[in-house]
Amino acid sequence: MAGNFWQSSHYQQWILDKQDLIRERQLDLQVLSEEEYQKIGIFFSNFIQILGEQLKLKQQVIATATVYFKRFYARNSLKSIDPLLLSPTCVFLASKVEEFGVISNSRLISTCQTVLKNKLNYAYTQEFPYRTNHILECEFYLLENLDCCLIVFQPYRPLLQLVQDIGQHEDQLLALAWRVVNDSLRTDLSLLYPPYQIAIGCLQIACVIMQKDLKSWFAELNVDIDKIQEISRYIISLFELWKSYDEKKDIQGLLNKMPKFKLQPSR
Amino acid sequence: MENKSKKYEIIEFLGEGQFATVYKAKDSISGNIVAVKKIKVGTVEDAKDGVNRTALREIKLLIELDHENIIALIDVFGHLSNISLVYDFMDTDLEVIIKDSSIVFTQSHIKAYAIMTLKGLEYLHMNWILHRDLKPNNLLVNKKGVLKIADFGLAKRFGTPDRLHTHRVVTRFYRAPELLFGARAYGPAIDIWAVGCIIAELLLRVPFLPGESDLDQLTKIFTTLGSPNEETWPGVTKLSDYVVFKKFPAIPLREIFTAAPNELLDVIGGMLNVNPLKRPTCSEALQMSYFSIRPPPSLGSQLPIPSCLKEKSSDDQDAKGQKRKFTDYLEGGTQPKRLVFDSLA
Repeated sequence: MAGNFWQSSHYQQWILDKQDLIRERQLDLQVLSEEEYQKIGIFFSNFIQILGEQLKLKQQVIATATVYFKRFYARNSLKSIDPLLLSPTCVFLASKVEEFGVISNSRLISTCQTVLKNKLNYAYTQEFPYRTNHILECEFYLLENLDCCLIVFQPYRPLLQLVQDIGQHEDQLLALAWRVVNDSLRTDLSLLYPPYQIAIGCLQIACVIMQKDLKSWFAELNVDIDKIQEISRYIISLFELWKSYDEKKDIQGLLNKMPKFKLQPSR
Repeated sequence: MENKSKKYEIIEFLGEGQFATVYKAKDSISGNIVAVKKIKVGTVEDAKDGVNRTALREIKLLIELDHENIIALIDVFGHLSNISLVYDFMDTDLEVIIKDSSIVFTQSHIKAYAIMTLKGLEYLHMNWILHRDLKPNNLLVNKKGVLKIADFGLAKRFGTPDRLHTHRVVTRFYRAPELLFGARAYGPAIDIWAVGCIIAELLLRVPFLPGESDLDQLTKIFTTLGSPNEETWPGVTKLSDYVVFKKFPAIPLREIFTAAPNELLDVIGGMLNVNPLKRPTCSEALQMSYFSIRPPPSLGSQLPIPSCLKEKSSDDQDAKGQKRKFTDYLEGGTQPKRLVFDSLA
């Protein structure tokens, strides 16, 4: 667990197969293209990131919340729960699990309202429609769908170790690679690869951007280089998607097209 | 998760704590006997906080752990803040066994309990988890004599240097001096201290250092084990709640534990070193000669069973007659069920 990734639920239960992931999404992919699905995922990862920043949470908590979100929809259709409700619920559960201070439910709801109104009004014209009881109901459903696996390993710690190994004065490289790791949360990577591999992939991208030649250092790593290349390709395709796409213009249409949840009868 | 509540048939009420009520129950599918811990819904404020934080701590840690001497979390069910956790069923705990005056401990018994506790704790510490509430009451024992560490409601991951912890942990009698002095950066040594107190209690059959207040706890510790100074415990005077104590000499452990072998006194003395840095780790403690010399630890089946459990399994109905009859009826007779459970556990 905290000390042993290989015996963790993260490694044993939650490193998924690409094919399985696509199969689980069949229902949604009948309505949305793969790219549209990804764009919706990016939008809600951003929502989680903004929420976390507004609530002054550590990046670790935000990353955990994002992984919860991904894991939930790796098994469920977007129809099963409105992602607009699941996002703050993931933030709520992650903040409790990581034990960095307490966010009250009312503060969470009011932050959702402000974020939607001030930052995401290009996507939603109405007010944030959910209340505390919705979050609480959803939290339980989330916990169940995660199979109670709550401890998530992130690429940040391995990244720190790797950069330390490269050398003393690599602050710029670290800062850039750290941002690439943040970006990687917008992809399916956290569902498919162990965090230490993601860290190496992100470091490689950062080196390319900085035009830093660390070939011999990478060659010394005892790691499956094909996997690292796959990870890099995920991130490059994310960057390309970003270049060609104006979220502000397109997201409303996508959200309308998204399979809609049926209202859960309140019990 | 709601449907699962029907999966478990409650057999009897086992006990009630601050946060939860515990029942003995039967898994209607597998037939296994389990313990169901139903978390209490507290105040309206608590209900708004969703899944109870203490329960969440148990869930997140226990789901990752798998060791013979750590209680296993089998299932979770419930709805909203009304959550229940399902565990291995354990017949009794070390507190009941210690308090049972009909039981006489041999050196082998004590060694067996100490080893099982240390092995479970070693595994926890290897996984960077502090238990933070070790006491006889949280060391559960089943009829096969297997001891399992339970109650992870205060447990926490450690090892990130900049993260501070609260010092308001551990039941007072078992609380290490650094916690009582308000240390916020502490480590596995606080659990080791508690184990030292528990082993001492196995010998004395009463709590070794029963402080009546936090200050009295420190007084009891220092009048028994000697008061610390900067030489014996560098940094002690810098701790936030440090208080100067009169110079007390340590009482030789030999005078307190008259019947204990020297090697056991080494173990206790090491674990109850007031300086946390001088206490052994679990692995170091298990390497101490006490654990390899004769007599060997008792096998599980040779460990004592408290008289309250023996009464239960005997056929004559005495004090608990009415309730017994009722549960016997539910279980379809106590005797065969126990056998089934034993073979499954």
